[in-house]
Amino acid sequence: MLDNAIYLVVSIAILVTMGLAMARAILGPTVYDRVLAANVFGTKTVLLLSVIAFLYGRPDFLDLALTYALINFVGILAVLQFFQSRSRTEAKEAKD
Amino acid sequence: MIEVVFGVFLLTLLVITAVAVVRTENLFVAVMLMSIFSLLMAANFFILDAADVALTEAAIGAGITTVIFLGALALTAQREKRSPNGRFATLGVISVLAALMIWATFDKPRLGDPDAPVHQHVAPWYLEQTPELMGIPNVVTAVLGSFRGYDTLGEVFVVFAACIGVLFVLSAGQGLDRGLFAPDPESEGLRHHLIPKVVGRLLVPFIVLFGLYVQFHGEYGPGGGFQAGAIIATGVILYALLEGEASALNALPRSVLLGMVVGGALLYTGVGVAGMLLGGNFLDYSVLMSDPVIGQQVGIVLIEAGVGITVCGSLLSIFHAFAAREAR
Repeated sequence: MLDNAIYLVVSIAILVTMGLAMARAILGPTVYDRVLAANVFGTKTVLLLSVIAFLYGRPDFLDLALTYALINFVGILAVLQFFQSRSRTEAKEAKD
Repeated sequence: MIEVVFGVFLLTLLVITAVAVVRTENLFVAVMLMSIFSLLMAANFFILDAADVALTEAAIGAGITTVIFLGALALTAQREKRSPNGRFATLGVISVLAALMIWATFDKPRLGDPDAPVHQHVAPWYLEQTPELMGIPNVVTAVLGSFRGYDTLGEVFVVFAACIGVLFVLSAGQGLDRGLFAPDPESEGLRHHLIPKVVGRLLVPFIVLFGLYVQFHGEYGPGGGFQAGAIIATGVILYALLEGEASALNALPRSVLLGMVVGGALLYTGVGVAGMLLGGNFLDYSVLMSDPVIGQQVGIVLIEAGVGITVCGSLLSIFHAFAAREAR
């Protein structure tokens, strides 16, 4: 009973932080705010899924949270690569 | 009760994100918001207890779509062009369609209603017969692999056709290696950045291992070929991001990837044909072994492997097709 109350409070707190990250993603203003917001949102989703898995008593659903935790990283690396190659192209164009 | 609160909150965020994606003109921001959209979608599926679908959304949405969107974005301008023509026509069409869809929802049974037609047709039979006929706990895998094996075969052919279509469109005028993921030879990938390199190298084997776990654990928990194929493809894409696209192509050349796309579909069809040759119907696995239950399990493992191989090959082929394009 106490466990469930704790899981409930934690999941609601996570929902609130998801709302905050969301606000940052939409308001911006810079691109980096949005990258950070997307990253935070990914982390929050992992946490929310794990907490809900315990709340529902289905810990085998942790597989899902694990998938996110492993894969979210790849998306962020692709963003890094994107900016690296974009700034390099721009530098080259400026030189030409 | 609490599911309703979660559901309403997440769906509200989903609508806000969707509106923001449409409103923004900066395409990079749209890509970031789309990744949030997919996270929200997966959380929604999860709350509705659809773990298999949520896992698919997680595997495809979190990693691969972001990478492919960014690959496409690198080939084009960062801002959306305003098109002045036909805005009112579009608005009219969308409003009429939206009104029709909202009207149609009035006929829809209440969410989770046990008397809804969809829960009364064949679903009870599937739930009852799965333990008896297949002896596996995950009914989703049983339905996907065996009861509705024809549908899944169709899906594999759709993935196959989509892959061929993308390759066909993108390879027009090909031959120059200058896309996002293969910029110039002296600084390929992120190999000059120490932290991503070390962490990424550690992660690659674990992602692939986890993909194999999802592949072979699909009969017992959420997972199966589609999800596993996407996860393994993500692992290889991570390698490509770290070491440059050329190294990934060295490890898994295009011909191998195409062979995977074709081979997976062939393996699936082959299992079906083997059933016919052994005296059953097409895609009837009971005849594959002397014990029909074991036969079903062997059949499901084989076709899931076919699905996984095709999905993995297709996603990687599409990734390389984008990466090899010249930006203009």
